[in-house]
Amino acid sequence: MLKRIFNPSPAHAHGQRSVAVDLRKLSVRFDGHLALEDISLQVEPGLRVAVVGPNGAGKSTLFNVLAGLLLPSAGQVRIYGHAPAQHHCLAYVPQSSQVDWTFPVSVRDVVMMGRSGHLGLLRWPGAEDRRLVDESLARVGLAGLARRQIGQLSGGQRQRMFIARALAQGANLLLLDEPLAGLDIPSQEQIVNILDELRALSISVLFATHDLGLAAERFDRILLLNRRLVAYGSPEQVFSGEHLTAAYGGHMQAIETKDGRLLLGDSGGHAHA
Amino acid sequence: MLDWLLEPLAFDFMQRGLLAATLVGVICAVVGCYIVLRGMAFLGDALAHTILPGMALGYLVSGGQRGALFWWALAAAVVSSLGIGALSRDGRLKQDTAIGIVFAGMFALGVALISTARSYAVDLSHFLFGNILGITNQDIGLTFSVGVLVLLLVWAFYKEFLVLAFDVQLATTLRLPARLLEILLSLLTAVAIVASLQTVGVALVAAMLVTPAATAMLLTKSLPRMMLLAALIAAGSGFLGLYISFYFNVASGAAIVLTCTLIFVLVWLLRRPGVRNAAA
Repeated sequence: MLKRIFNPSPAHAHGQRSVAVDLRKLSVRFDGHLALEDISLQVEPGLRVAVVGPNGAGKSTLFNVLAGLLLPSAGQVRIYGHAPAQHHCLAYVPQSSQVDWTFPVSVRDVVMMGRSGHLGLLRWPGAEDRRLVDESLARVGLAGLARRQIGQLSGGQRQRMFIARALAQGANLLLLDEPLAGLDIPSQEQIVNILDELRALSISVLFATHDLGLAAERFDRILLLNRRLVAYGSPEQVFSGEHLTAAYGGHMQAIETKDGRLLLGDSGGHAHA
Repeated sequence: MLDWLLEPLAFDFMQRGLLAATLVGVICAVVGCYIVLRGMAFLGDALAHTILPGMALGYLVSGGQRGALFWWALAAAVVSSLGIGALSRDGRLKQDTAIGIVFAGMFALGVALISTARSYAVDLSHFLFGNILGITNQDIGLTFSVGVLVLLLVWAFYKEFLVLAFDVQLATTLRLPARLLEILLSLLTAVAIVASLQTVGVALVAAMLVTPAATAMLLTKSLPRMMLLAALIAAGSGFLGLYISFYFNVASGAAIVLTCTLIFVLVWLLRRPGVRNAAA
């Protein structure tokens, strides 16, 4: 176990051609019941995937398994060919409510934490680490706030700080668990725009959200969950009346407008105009 | 004024006491920063109480030899912190429940052992409330070595402890050995507590872990500065408390902790939230 501190593995040792997320017959038992059942799925690298489904569908459970925080009870999980928590290529942006915002660290300190897995014991951040941190802060538009204590950031800035940390970490797969919850529309827009820019770095994104309109408009793929995998594919493929009824039952309204667009509302979340 | 300061220094026991109070203050304050940040004040207090049976056993076995008692106390704290970890590991019990069970059980065992032999009850009361003026040069040497070891480890694992305290999920995704680091941190806590036994005693050591760190947290928003400030506050309280104890004949451990508490109350009153939190 100590070996992991002394000899951290290089960041990009995995092959470029392996799929970003590879799930084979994954089942997860959590709190005494099956939170996820028999899920098989391959996500190609560089895609932005919206993970949607009703409350309790297993979105957070799926993220916890991918991050290596929860062990599957059956099946296989591979992230760029590696078992969970065996590699630095995945970054988990925590839900804002789980973070202690009084913690005595600056925005820069938090982004630098992304480098600590690469450094190893008794090694302190060098010029290259500082450059990566500056670059990541600039990319999310927080360069001017680097010295602020984290509690002084607005909700949108907080999410962007964690995205910067994932960039500094050199992650190829970004997990965001309801990052837009409680944010105003301009802040939401800013975050989704940053994710658009990540496409150029071929970073894959899994993005849990209740906002089906946003999912349909701005994401490459939709992963529709309700304990089981209901559907995975392009928004047009996934957002059919049949799939939505299977996932949400009577709690879902799907109205097709004149120009063929689906207007969707989910009782569990926020409407997106 | 100068006389007032110099007079106690003429006594050897005061020189040793001041040195010990400073050393212990620094050790506890630095380790205490992590305890405060992780919201584990209860663990600190509980671990301090679980030491009692170790000391009682040590007393029975080695007949009150002080150097040996240190190791017995440390063994009891280590066993307790590993026990708490084992009980809460598989998720059947929450951690604070596990702490409550181990803490009460160990403390009861200590009281039971003490009650079987009344003759050494008085000596053991020194460990409940401290006996800083009875400190020997040997004790100081031991405390100093322990202090150097603790500070070295906190420095060596600074990055890792920071991630662990701020974001356990990140520790896992970065492949840091979270459980190993957690055990190391509770071992450091145990060592800091045992080192403080003679100065403030089992009953009050939690204050040395929590109060200076909490005070420093109100004053700064940077972890290294928080550690430095906490260490200064704790060392200063040790000094001032001991002088108060000398001149007003107050129990030394209580005087030190009360000084800490007073500094905390002053800072808490003077630094109101609105002043430093310009949250957006």
